[in-house]
Amino acid sequence: MSTQTLAAPGTHSGAGARNLRFNPVTRVSGGLHLHAAADFGGTRTVSDAVAMATAFRGYEVILNGRDARDAVFISSRACGVCGNAHSTAGALAVEMACGVSPPPQGVVARNFLSAAECMIDHPSHLFLRAGPDYSEPVVRETSPELWSRAESTPAAGAAVHGFARVSDIMTALTRNSGFLYREALHMTRIARVAYVVIGGKYPHPQTITPGGLSSTVDTTDYNITLLRIVKYLDYSRKTVAVWDDIADFFYQADQRYGQVGAGPMNFIDLGLWDDPHTVGGPSGFGETRWSSPGAIVNGALQTTSVREIDAGVEEFVEHSFFENWSGGGYSHDAGGNPLSSRHPSNKQTIAQPGNPNPDGKYSWSTAARWQGHPMETGAQARMWATALARRPHGSFVESTGRSVRMNMPSGEMPANVLEWQAPQRWNAFERNRARAYALAQATLAAYETVVIGLDLARRGGSNARIFNPYKIPKDGVSGAGYWGGARGFVSHHMQIDGRVIENYQIVGPSTFSGSPRDAAGTPGPCEAAVMATPLVSSDPTEHGIDVLRAVRSFDLCMYCAAQ
Amino acid sequence: MSYEVGAFGGFVGATRRDDGKLVHVFWLSAMACDGCSVVALGANQPRIEELTLGEIPGLPQIVLHHPMLSEDAGAGFMQAYRAAADGTLNAPYILIMEGSIPDDQSLGGPGYYAAMGTGSDWPQSKGNVAAPDQPVKVSDWVWALAPGAEVCIAMGTCATWGGIPAAAGNITGSMGLTDYLGADYRSKRGLPVVNVPGCPPVGDNFTEVLKELLFYFEGGRGLPAFDELGRAVWQFGETVHRHCMKAGYYEEGVFAHEPGDNQCLVEIGCWGPVVQCNITERGAQDHTGGCMIAGGACIGCTMPGFPDKFSPFYKAPPGSAISGTTSRITGGAIRRLRRASMANANTEPLWDKAHEIPTAWGRAADVTNPVRKVNAFFYKKLQYSGSVNHAKRAKQQPLPLSRDILRQKGIDLEASVPVLQEHLITREEL
Repeated sequence: MSTQTLAAPGTHSGAGARNLRFNPVTRVSGGLHLHAAADFGGTRTVSDAVAMATAFRGYEVILNGRDARDAVFISSRACGVCGNAHSTAGALAVEMACGVSPPPQGVVARNFLSAAECMIDHPSHLFLRAGPDYSEPVVRETSPELWSRAESTPAAGAAVHGFARVSDIMTALTRNSGFLYREALHMTRIARVAYVVIGGKYPHPQTITPGGLSSTVDTTDYNITLLRIVKYLDYSRKTVAVWDDIADFFYQADQRYGQVGAGPMNFIDLGLWDDPHTVGGPSGFGETRWSSPGAIVNGALQTTSVREIDAGVEEFVEHSFFENWSGGGYSHDAGGNPLSSRHPSNKQTIAQPGNPNPDGKYSWSTAARWQGHPMETGAQARMWATALARRPHGSFVESTGRSVRMNMPSGEMPANVLEWQAPQRWNAFERNRARAYALAQATLAAYETVVIGLDLARRGGSNARIFNPYKIPKDGVSGAGYWGGARGFVSHHMQIDGRVIENYQIVGPSTFSGSPRDAAGTPGPCEAAVMATPLVSSDPTEHGIDVLRAVRSFDLCMYCAAQ
Repeated sequence: MSYEVGAFGGFVGATRRDDGKLVHVFWLSAMACDGCSVVALGANQPRIEELTLGEIPGLPQIVLHHPMLSEDAGAGFMQAYRAAADGTLNAPYILIMEGSIPDDQSLGGPGYYAAMGTGSDWPQSKGNVAAPDQPVKVSDWVWALAPGAEVCIAMGTCATWGGIPAAAGNITGSMGLTDYLGADYRSKRGLPVVNVPGCPPVGDNFTEVLKELLFYFEGGRGLPAFDELGRAVWQFGETVHRHCMKAGYYEEGVFAHEPGDNQCLVEIGCWGPVVQCNITERGAQDHTGGCMIAGGACIGCTMPGFPDKFSPFYKAPPGSAISGTTSRITGGAIRRLRRASMANANTEPLWDKAHEIPTAWGRAADVTNPVRKVNAFFYKKLQYSGSVNHAKRAKQQPLPLSRDILRQKGIDLEASVPVLQEHLITREEL
């Protein structure tokens, strides 16, 4: 057994010094071990943090040496929340290698499945994983000073969500028994029904294939989905109102809550929801996605080109349980952009298990960076990219350059506009708020795709075609799939020779967000957010609630981070 | 019911029914993907919250310790695992395994493929497996918790049979729970591992088995029926093909040529006829979806041979060359006979009598076709023999006088007919 310890450098000393060791951090997906040095005494700060992915299954290695036709169904299983994103990215990679793209109905159905996945995952995160951190039992135990304030604070969104006071929202967020907790379970079941009508099953769809889908979608299928999606119009309005009220309450109670989980405004996303009319065209390739691709550094949009976004990606393993690799034959991508030897298409997966050591290797996740920057992924990155890209985004969503305006049709509640403004500060509360607005964005995407899909199904004939045939060439080819899950950025990179996979590489959203330090020693976004977090809550039991709120606001998926 | 604020420690859970018994459920994830947890949350028969809140009469309330759901984190979360492994929980518990188990017990040096908790969370009564600040392997928790469990349920194909992490070329040496615990394993209640396969399983299959076992443990009921591999017989006793809504296509010898086609999917890689699964009967969610129902070919994800014995995907299983050809010959003949009978069923007795079908849709069969008439004649003979001949009775029925009322009234609507014809969608021959 190793004698190395996990005591992080820069540990506080003094009466309030504590090593916060969360193994596991519960209410995230996959295994996450977070170790932070905190001072519950004078400074009320966190001086160091390491985030460790604690499981490795070797999906990339398993894919190597398999028939290329296995890529979609095997890679889907890398993540049981983002299975749709992985199977789609796998299909896109094979399609690029074979030079085929799906017909419009295939694009529509894939768009729909991706939107439905968000409609399942966003409420699951907001109410099952993050929500309990703001619930009555947790607030009463970790910040009793806030509870009486919540009881006397009227909720601004009462007319929408139906809770008169902020304390009523907190009661409803209670794990298991709270109304919002149970409602989220109920609503995700509605979205699951819509998903499985076209995807066959969830979270690992059975109908996504290179060339499109094998779904036998007809008017009935779209009818079943449409009638479930419209239930989300009101639910989105309500979810937004709840998370607006939670953020505003904490800010007003104590300004320092604005520093919980604070981080630079660095975001990366490959975009979602291809325009069904332009996807195969010359300007296609992500440029017309309804949720724009985008790389944003310090709040400024750098590019919306999928190729440029991908070309800037590097993966580092200096602090990961992998050996560094050499070689890799790609100096440029197909668009002529230079690629680093650390680019996923040049990467080899060489596992090297060990005991974690913060100065050495400590995580099963690699450290993904974009042009050297740690980047955040997920619903929040989609909102930022869509807001800043200022391009058409489907029929219901407008981008103003600084905000996303969503024209919500009526449900039981009247039609209205939900507008997400890119905030001036970036922290745990803003991540959750952005995710709530992203639920509305996903709902509108699902609604619009189903309306288009219904039209194509009604027209029948070649319009209803959902699949284009493909043939995997015998000669060596390579391909990449750029897509996103509810958690955002997913890219798959494959090289095929003799119809067999030679090298398969997966970058998941949390390979960015939940990453360890990189070669330069720069912490990953979640690690940095924890270190920026002041211990604002009185937290008499030293539970570390502010740290946990910071971590959970990322909606991490450690299975995507470390496949 | 009210929550207990002091229960935030996570040991008992935030809510507790006043009167009921408690059974703890410990969830372990190793070579997993969270997909099994995700389908468990989607289950409706019963729902996970009905179990955790104790809302089903006659069942104990379950206290679910789950890394993706539990309130408390780190040591606070692990203390119940520690107590259970230590034998000091003082309450019955069930162990749920998600994901396969890596062979990291046999790693030569330090490290792990899946870890949860640190050495300080580990009960010293079970020896020393990790330094206080070092991660504990999930494979350690499995051997420590399995013997004291009322029952171990392997949830999903990774935990049952190894699944994809155990596929050819893997470097983790992963295996299913039964392989890890060995043939001699029995739970505290004397049960071998109960298996709920699927990648992911139908969520209801899991919560239903859990509920049935809880009923059994309450006493007064027999053990639910499990097959020779520990699968629920009522869930996995049939092939998925038998309840497949595309099985009728197979019967009539018509097959999908490419993805997106409606017919039987065998020739685009469906293994349904040899796979034990109930997704075509139960649906994937609330009796909706299910692989082939949505057009997805079965790749055998519930079976011990998954994935390698079903690879490459999208390729027809070898056996289908014989069974498919046989079905084309016999099914093709049956299909043609059926279409002839169907044509007869597709006309009102009134139309037979009037020798016309009064519709502007214009695609209805020609009732005056002589072959059709001969067919119908013999069919009726057979159908009504030994009973009442309704065809004869219908003939004696007078034609309704107000039939074709618009023509009788002199209202001319012919203009709309050609427009309608243009919009007719031709459907492939049945």
